[in-house]
Amino acid sequence: MFGPRIDGHNGIVLVPSTLEHFKLYMSWMLQPETDRFWGPRFGEVTEEKQAERFKKTGEDETQIQWTIAYHDEPVGFTGIFDIDWVRRDGESGIFIGRHDLFGRGIASEAIRLRTDFAWRELRMHRVHNWIAHANRGSRRANEKAGYTQMGLFRRSFFRSGEWYDEWLGEAYPQTFPDQH
Amino acid sequence: MALGGTIRGKKTTLRLPIEADLETYNRWMADMRVRRAHRVWHEPAMPATWKERFKEIAKVKESILWSIDTDGKLVGFALGRLWTIGNAFDVIHFLIDPAEWRKGYGFDAALALHRYLFDYLDLRLATAELRADNAAALKIVAKLGYIEFAHGHEVHYRDGAYVDEIKLRMDKETWQERWSTEREYPPLAADATR
Repeated sequence: MFGPRIDGHNGIVLVPSTLEHFKLYMSWMLQPETDRFWGPRFGEVTEEKQAERFKKTGEDETQIQWTIAYHDEPVGFTGIFDIDWVRRDGESGIFIGRHDLFGRGIASEAIRLRTDFAWRELRMHRVHNWIAHANRGSRRANEKAGYTQMGLFRRSFFRSGEWYDEWLGEAYPQTFPDQH
Repeated sequence: MALGGTIRGKKTTLRLPIEADLETYNRWMADMRVRRAHRVWHEPAMPATWKERFKEIAKVKESILWSIDTDGKLVGFALGRLWTIGNAFDVIHFLIDPAEWRKGYGFDAALALHRYLFDYLDLRLATAELRADNAAALKIVAKLGYIEFAHGHEVHYRDGAYVDEIKLRMDKETWQERWSTEREYPPLAADATR
């Protein structure tokens, strides 16, 4: 399913994704500038497949997805996936597709909004994620929202001549910084 | 691709699952001893639903399901997922019938499965996730050579309380150090390629 509109600071808003957004995701995810810590930069990326994914995402009750808008422009997506409603646990993720906007705090604010929603509206118990250890910006953004390290997965993937480790994080309502 | 073929251990055999196994799978998923130890693969359901699930898993390219037998009797199943890239395998479900616990079937089948992963598929690593209080499973993976790489807090819920989760990995180097004598096939004859 898609999450509701959530207004944040500095022109950053989480909005329910549309089919047009899903079509944008295709081009974002196939660029070397955005894919250093992502992958695999190939797949069934036809418009028909994106329409199918859009429908499937909208119907799937084990995930909540938003498009991230920055000054009314879609720039990425985020969500909580594989939600187990008994354990009240899910895996979070974020992707900023506009690499020309890296470093403006968009991910930090989107993660703060998403995590706050998980505690206040979904009554979740835990969210967790995997982040490339060297992706310091993403790691810091998650840590600011209360994620702490639960492990390190060494030599997860090999790229441009070196091994990349992955950082495993988890967050709970009590680890969310008081924003009020 | 998605249904596994025969892998022989000393006491057990991982083999192609068949529809006739599904009734037993259903019974296991309804067994509270299984549910305490493991995450369920699917909730108990009507036979027709299990047949649908079976058809679905057979279509998923990256997942592999095996039934586990001993002397022709179904005693468990294993389900894992090959990474799309990166030459690795996640062991997602590995279940032995509670009536057959403490007979060494779990370790025997796990060793055979890992021989297949490292000695046959030539993968570089395998991963597993276990509930922190599943002492029997933790003992099996420690004996195989798995090491912990993450500890999730309050991950699984049952019996009115949360339990932690241990994430573990086993690398090919460990397999080679500990189990180099475990081979599916004997060395090729010196003149085999002449």
